[in-house]
Amino acid sequence: MKDSKWTWRTVSLVSILATLLLITGFVYAVGDILNPKGEQFLSSLPQETAAPTAAADDEYKILALGDSLAKGTGDNSGQGFVKRTVDALSANGGKAELLGNMGINGLTTAALQSKLQEEGVQYALRQANVILISIGGNDLFRGSDILGTGGSSGQAAAAEKPSEQTVPQSTKAPANNKVEGTTPVPTASAGDLTPESLLSALPGAAKRLGSILDTVAEVNPQAQVYYIGLYNPFGDIEGLLIPGNQAVTAWNNAAMDMINKHQNMTLVPTFDLFDRHLAKYLSNDHFHPNGDGYQRMSERIVQAVR
Amino acid sequence: MTNLLPLIRNECLKIIKKKRFYVILLILLVLVPMFTYAQMRIAERSRDKFNSDWRLEIQQQITDNQNSLGSDRIPEEWKSYRRIFLQQLQYYLDHDVNPNEPSGVTFTREFVNNSVSLFIPLLIMAVASDLVSGERTTGTIKMLLTRPVRRWKVLFSKMVALLMFVSLIVLSVFVISYLISGLAFGYKGFNVPVFTGFQLNGDTVDMTKVHAVEQWKYLLMQGGLIWYVSIVVALLAFMVSVLVRSTAASIVVMMAALIAGTILTNMASAWTAAKYLFMVNMELTTYLAGTPAPIEGMTLGFSMAVLGIWGLAAVIISFAVFTKRDILN
Repeated sequence: MKDSKWTWRTVSLVSILATLLLITGFVYAVGDILNPKGEQFLSSLPQETAAPTAAADDEYKILALGDSLAKGTGDNSGQGFVKRTVDALSANGGKAELLGNMGINGLTTAALQSKLQEEGVQYALRQANVILISIGGNDLFRGSDILGTGGSSGQAAAAEKPSEQTVPQSTKAPANNKVEGTTPVPTASAGDLTPESLLSALPGAAKRLGSILDTVAEVNPQAQVYYIGLYNPFGDIEGLLIPGNQAVTAWNNAAMDMINKHQNMTLVPTFDLFDRHLAKYLSNDHFHPNGDGYQRMSERIVQAVR
Repeated sequence: MTNLLPLIRNECLKIIKKKRFYVILLILLVLVPMFTYAQMRIAERSRDKFNSDWRLEIQQQITDNQNSLGSDRIPEEWKSYRRIFLQQLQYYLDHDVNPNEPSGVTFTREFVNNSVSLFIPLLIMAVASDLVSGERTTGTIKMLLTRPVRRWKVLFSKMVALLMFVSLIVLSVFVISYLISGLAFGYKGFNVPVFTGFQLNGDTVDMTKVHAVEQWKYLLMQGGLIWYVSIVVALLAFMVSVLVRSTAASIVVMMAALIAGTILTNMASAWTAAKYLFMVNMELTTYLAGTPAPIEGMTLGFSMAVLGIWGLAAVIISFAVFTKRDILN
């Protein structure tokens, strides 16, 4: 009987204390949720830049930025050129590490511009010593409405107004690259495309590319930056080969001009990799490379990096 | 009042002698290490991938979510959930606070968050479901009711004992998960800030009311909300145990209701009237974390009122039935 007296005392005491504690928490929680008081915080991410390539030349810290190509859309293995590059660089005893892949389907230069203002992205940029950028394809081909889908007109309009670009807008990839390499996309008819319509998006987009490169150089002046040149995905459609080639070349030239102004930036050409080999190296959507296509791109990048 | 206290004491001792509470502690002692281990593996893997830089990890998580928002195959409800999640992640990142700082306290916070709708109610049912029906099964109810004590007092003492154990159970969930996960993640982390006060407005999150609370305060608030939910679950299970003759049936009835609630919640149903069911309203902690409620129009006040009404109804029904009913065998 003495035993049960002791048990009762402990149980009742502990449970009363627990109840009081929990009621306090309950009252506090209800008050906090129903009448929240906002606060201002003034903290920011660390600003220091990681060691440049020269200081740690045995290790590549790789960051990828840009559109669906950076993300690897179309590659059935999901690796894309980024993962393949990292793998190739870390083979044979090399050290390479992927810090992050910030590729977003359907990203345009305008959206990338606003993305680069985000602190998290800038932080990631500062940690890297190799930065891979793929951007511009969506401006050039979407901007001219080449794929003729309903969603792309909004994207084109957004590209015209970089100041109004918001994150949700930039993440809204048009229907044509949503499913990785599984859905064939209605290919454009030759009628939509003239060299003029392709080139109309070029000056604005090129200017934005310039400012993107400037921002990257400003955020991390030490990193090696590799810009992946464009290829013409529409070469297999009759009547699109020549105007497409012209527009892509004009873009690549414009990009080259700007890249040459920065001493640690390199343009990695991909035009010749896909020219006249589209059937072999493009995925089912006739726009993104397939695994083999990405493999060829990554080989180029590795050659440029090492 | 003079003869209530001994009755409550008697009921408490019965619960302890039946070893129900030890079973609950044992379940916790077995399950929590399993969850801890799983969580540890996840943490290890992300440490390998992101070189223990949580900022890069969060940024990657944001990018991945942005990508999935672009997919047309994802239902609109999930998208809005992700948009909200994304904005919160961005907020954490912008203010240089790691939302998943690995520690025993963070683990406890996540663990109780996930167990509020099913796991903790289950533990409570272990005590509540046989309080009355158990006496019937064994036949001891006749002995109990032939004593010169009013019936409502008998039932009331059982209810008070139950509520005492509800508090004990909620507390032990916190304490055990903290003590065990602390072995793996360390016992620190009480002062890490957690953001709360996200005002959801459809797809967008209003950040003006966001404020940081220390994690121990956050745990305390969680505890309070979970306690409220647990009380209601306990009262409902108690009612079922009064109404139903066998303990097994009483557990099945409550389990079915709870599982139906989980399924309805996950369906994010277009059936808006479901929000008047108690089991859809159990995740009170979502209002603290700022995750969207399963059905539009649900707020903390609404959920608490729904739960309160169900709990109150359960008490009234229990007493009405128990005091009137003939006890036959």
